[in-house]
Amino acid sequence: MKLPLLIAAGIGLSVCLTGCRPNDNLVDDGAEAWVPVYMHPGEKENISIAGVRITEKSGKIYAWGNYIFQNDQNKGIHIIDNSDRTNPQKIAFLNIPFNSEFAVRDNYIYANNVNDLVVIDIRDVLHPVVVKRVENAFPFVNQKYPQQNGRFVCPDPSLGIVVGWELQDHKSANCRR
Amino acid sequence: MKNLLLFILLSGVISAATQCSKADASATTRGAGGSTARFAISGNYLYTVDEANLKVFSIADAANPVLKNTVPVGFEIETIYPFKDKLFIGSTSEVHIFSINNPESPEKLSTAISPEVLRRCDPVVAKDTVAFATLRTNGICGGRQSILAAYDIKNISKPVQKGSYPINEPYGLGYSDTALYVCDRNGLYVFNIEKAYQPALRKTLADGWYLDVIPYNNTLICQVQDGLTLYDISECMNPTLITRIR
Repeated sequence: MKLPLLIAAGIGLSVCLTGCRPNDNLVDDGAEAWVPVYMHPGEKENISIAGVRITEKSGKIYAWGNYIFQNDQNKGIHIIDNSDRTNPQKIAFLNIPFNSEFAVRDNYIYANNVNDLVVIDIRDVLHPVVVKRVENAFPFVNQKYPQQNGRFVCPDPSLGIVVGWELQDHKSANCRR
Repeated sequence: MKNLLLFILLSGVISAATQCSKADASATTRGAGGSTARFAISGNYLYTVDEANLKVFSIADAANPVLKNTVPVGFEIETIYPFKDKLFIGSTSEVHIFSINNPESPEKLSTAISPEVLRRCDPVVAKDTVAFATLRTNGICGGRQSILAAYDIKNISKPVQKGSYPINEPYGLGYSDTALYVCDRNGLYVFNIEKAYQPALRKTLADGWYLDVIPYNNTLICQVQDGLTLYDISECMNPTLITRIR
């Protein structure tokens, strides 16, 4: 973060030396801005079972029968076998791209898959099957602007769903909040 | 704007027994969620909250959810907690209580506010006539002091705060019998709630950043910052470590 600011200040200074104007925009704004990250086409549909993995971003929890489920933020759901409650173990990971919320009842997981609601049959928990997709069931967060205030690149809905915001060097960011 | 949460918990008639009875075992096929969830299942319906709206999906046909209703709730909605025929919906600043007597048409009954806190981050749980909420005011949520609040909800249309306890940086919460478990950035707090309006701190497990809990049969399932921590709560006031899952 410091280096781009220094560069921006340097540019500002050299602008100053060659023809100084007060309130030069480059100096005021720096060069960093929030840039929308769009989901890749087809990225959403990859719901699949995978091996046990380390929890990266601990998410929400649900208990159902002899299982405990824990979301890994934006990645999917860890499946934990709790049938021996003195020795519960992770047994699989259910990939659900951009999942953060879910509930479980009567052999089905209801989960968000980005902005869709998906229903996953877990009668055989190691062989889950997507049985239903309700498209655009929920608004996905932060589509129009990033959480943080500041300059940002205006998102273009035609490029797809915004799944994140990254702080990057970007002198032509055209939106501000 | 991040990290704003409202956690609600409602409680039943508080037992006078000093020993903890076994936790409710009826949830085995229905499942149980935490107090910070945005999805909740009640009866044949899935209720979801986004920033502004409550949505009602019928799951009478479990594999075919059907959107039945969209109800505007307010702003910065963050959590939903089902309790009997009510939904407790937490925002960054209020707890909205809805009746689901008519499950497809949730009807707003009241909004609970706390006199101590201007701006809060509040999960809630409920137990019959008492609701507990953590109201997090520090940092980005503003306000003065974070608290655990106990509300009298005998008159559901007029919840009244009857007790509170200062807490550093609280998150989700849950109860089993006479024990109330409250998550905090610095650990897990165990309160005795035999006197619901005077929660008494009995134990602090200061081994990590706790975010939410589900008391499930005799296991306390805890979401911590780096995964899960599970405790045996056969003695509800005295959780003993089963394992940590990372």
